[in-house]
Amino acid sequence: MALNGQPRVELAASDREVVIEVEELTKTFGPVPVLNGIDLKIRRSEVVCIIGPSGSGKSTLLRCLAFLDPYTGGRVSIEGQLLGYKQQGERRLMQGHRELAKVRRNVGMVFQHFNLWPHMTALENVALALRVTRKLKADQAEREAREALSKVGLGDKAGNYPSQLSGGQQQRVAIARALAMKPHVILFDEPTSALDPELVGEVLGVMRQLAVEGMTMAIVTHEMGFAAQMADTVVFMDRGVILEQGSPDEIFKNPRNDRLKQFLDTWRTRSF
Amino acid sequence: MTVIDTISQFLPLLLSGAWATLYVTSLATVLALGLGLVLELLNGSSLAPVRWMVRTYVEIMRGTPVLIVLFMLYYGGPSIGLVVDPVPAGILGLGIYGAAYFAEIFRAGFQSIPRGQIEAGEMLGLSRTSIVLRIKIPQMLRLIIPALFGQIVMMFKESALLSIITVSELTKVATQIVNETSSIIEPYIAVTVIYWVIIEAVARCGLFLERRFSHGA
Amino acid sequence: MEFLHIAWAYKEMLLVGAATTAVISGASILLGMPLGLAFAFGLVSHNRPIRLFCAVYRSFWRGTPLLVQILLVFYLLPSIGLDLSPVTAAVLALILNTSAFQAEIFRGGLSAVPKGQVEAAQMLGIAPITIRRRIVIPQLLRLVTPAITNEFISILKNSSIISVISVTELLRTGQQIVSATYRPLEVYGLIAIIYIVMNLVIAQLGRRAEARLARGARA
Repeated sequence: MALNGQPRVELAASDREVVIEVEELTKTFGPVPVLNGIDLKIRRSEVVCIIGPSGSGKSTLLRCLAFLDPYTGGRVSIEGQLLGYKQQGERRLMQGHRELAKVRRNVGMVFQHFNLWPHMTALENVALALRVTRKLKADQAEREAREALSKVGLGDKAGNYPSQLSGGQQQRVAIARALAMKPHVILFDEPTSALDPELVGEVLGVMRQLAVEGMTMAIVTHEMGFAAQMADTVVFMDRGVILEQGSPDEIFKNPRNDRLKQFLDTWRTRSF
Repeated sequence: MTVIDTISQFLPLLLSGAWATLYVTSLATVLALGLGLVLELLNGSSLAPVRWMVRTYVEIMRGTPVLIVLFMLYYGGPSIGLVVDPVPAGILGLGIYGAAYFAEIFRAGFQSIPRGQIEAGEMLGLSRTSIVLRIKIPQMLRLIIPALFGQIVMMFKESALLSIITVSELTKVATQIVNETSSIIEPYIAVTVIYWVIIEAVARCGLFLERRFSHGA
Repeated sequence: MEFLHIAWAYKEMLLVGAATTAVISGASILLGMPLGLAFAFGLVSHNRPIRLFCAVYRSFWRGTPLLVQILLVFYLLPSIGLDLSPVTAAVLALILNTSAFQAEIFRGGLSAVPKGQVEAAQMLGIAPITIRRRIVIPQLLRLVTPAITNEFISILKNSSIISVISVTELLRTGQQIVSATYRPLEVYGLIAIIYIVMNLVIAQLGRRAEARLARGARA
């Protein structure tokens, strides 16, 4: 499958266009602030890994980028378009589902718990949106769905129901489902956290391949090894703010922030 | 004649009907609860024929319309020399019918207590009686409150059928008023409202108890 | 045995009565289903008046005796100029009654479909109506099959109540046989057995449906 985006090695990161722009983002659940002023730019073909302790707000941030959780302040733009809201004079109104679907048309999402539809085969899971959203004809949708499944190495599992697949295979189907829509960016919400340890590798392998091909990706993860190896930018979050962001080398070898140092120490101790 | 007129004109009659409904349903519920518990205890018997008889009883009752049980008691009784008045026949019928449902509720309640808790009790040297009294029953009560009150509500609704075997409860009262006046629909609306109030009150009671007992869930 | 004599002598009447009961109950369950589904979506609607209306509807039909509901429908409709046959009135009352119970069953099923599956569909730009039709409802049917089977059994038994507005279903057939034979115990026992057998069949069908729908379940 042809992935859009240029070969990432040839352009300096700062020259590439911004795909997702987050400005002064805040989010509260009732009176409780969860995100407290987040600024972040994700550029074409960039791989951004978001790390941090549990409860730091990293998953909420990702869900706000998809508008699955509506943010309360600031703005998120997808390729220049405001996500989730429309300005009407002074007031900001929530977008209807059609407008919202239009803005996030090029955003794919992969969830921690896969969220496959259990009553459909792998092929049907991938093909449904091709039929009803991209309005492809049945045979064309099936062809593209099979292509996407082959890409994640599951060409032979098209007829299986999710319950007949391992966790790792289910997550790869979920990636194929997002991929088949030809998104410009894919958001991954802890894609390997629900997997048995021996199944993590196959999912990370698919993600690595996507990164190499130039897919723009934002990944909330606990896989420090993957972040160190594949990320262009690592973002460390704690208590609803970004405390430090930089290249993997800067974050993992030269952490400046004390909480980041502490977090990395805990992680190192645990992995021995 | 409006519904309000009907209510005010026939208030004493309606009240006596409501009282009869409450009275027969309460007695039938007490009977059904007791019999249901006995059935469930017998169902735990080590004798297979006893368990088999309990299961058959429960399945027969649950597969049969309550109206048939009432008809067999009321119309069938005399043919074997057993003449039962409408009220006792109604209470008995609702009671033995409801007992099958209560037995099932108790069974589900006992089954829902994890085996591990019983084993933990046994390992600590608790007697079988204390395990039932101190571990099983307190938890079971909390778990089965919704189902228990669902069944009590059911019995209130089924009690309307006693009008067919001439018990002067609410529904019968409505028919009587229809016969005495020219109005057809107002008396039925009036008793419907009374049923609705009674049943809603019983259901609220259940919700209240459910919340009271939900701590430590 | 008197019992078997009666069964043999009145076999045609009994068959017709049983068939009437089966058809009336089956029709009520089937016709009540779309209504129940609509009310279930109403119960989880974001629109407050709709939610309230559905909750009151559910409370009314679940909170009053079916006998009274049948009498209300039977007498109320002519008084507003709708003249219905007893059978139509009976089926209508049973439909309205079961739709409230089915609404509650479907509502429970709706909350059992994981929210993440809907989010995944939203992220793929699938319209809300399509999400319901293609993702939620197919799973709902599997989740609610046991409860709907129980509701079917309950409606089959409760349909005996429509004998009071002289619909000649199974129980009323029994009453007619009793008045001819003066053998209430045997006849009602026989009728009870027919109900039990029909309920066993429904339970068996329910289990079959459940097994069929279970293919590809358990995410």
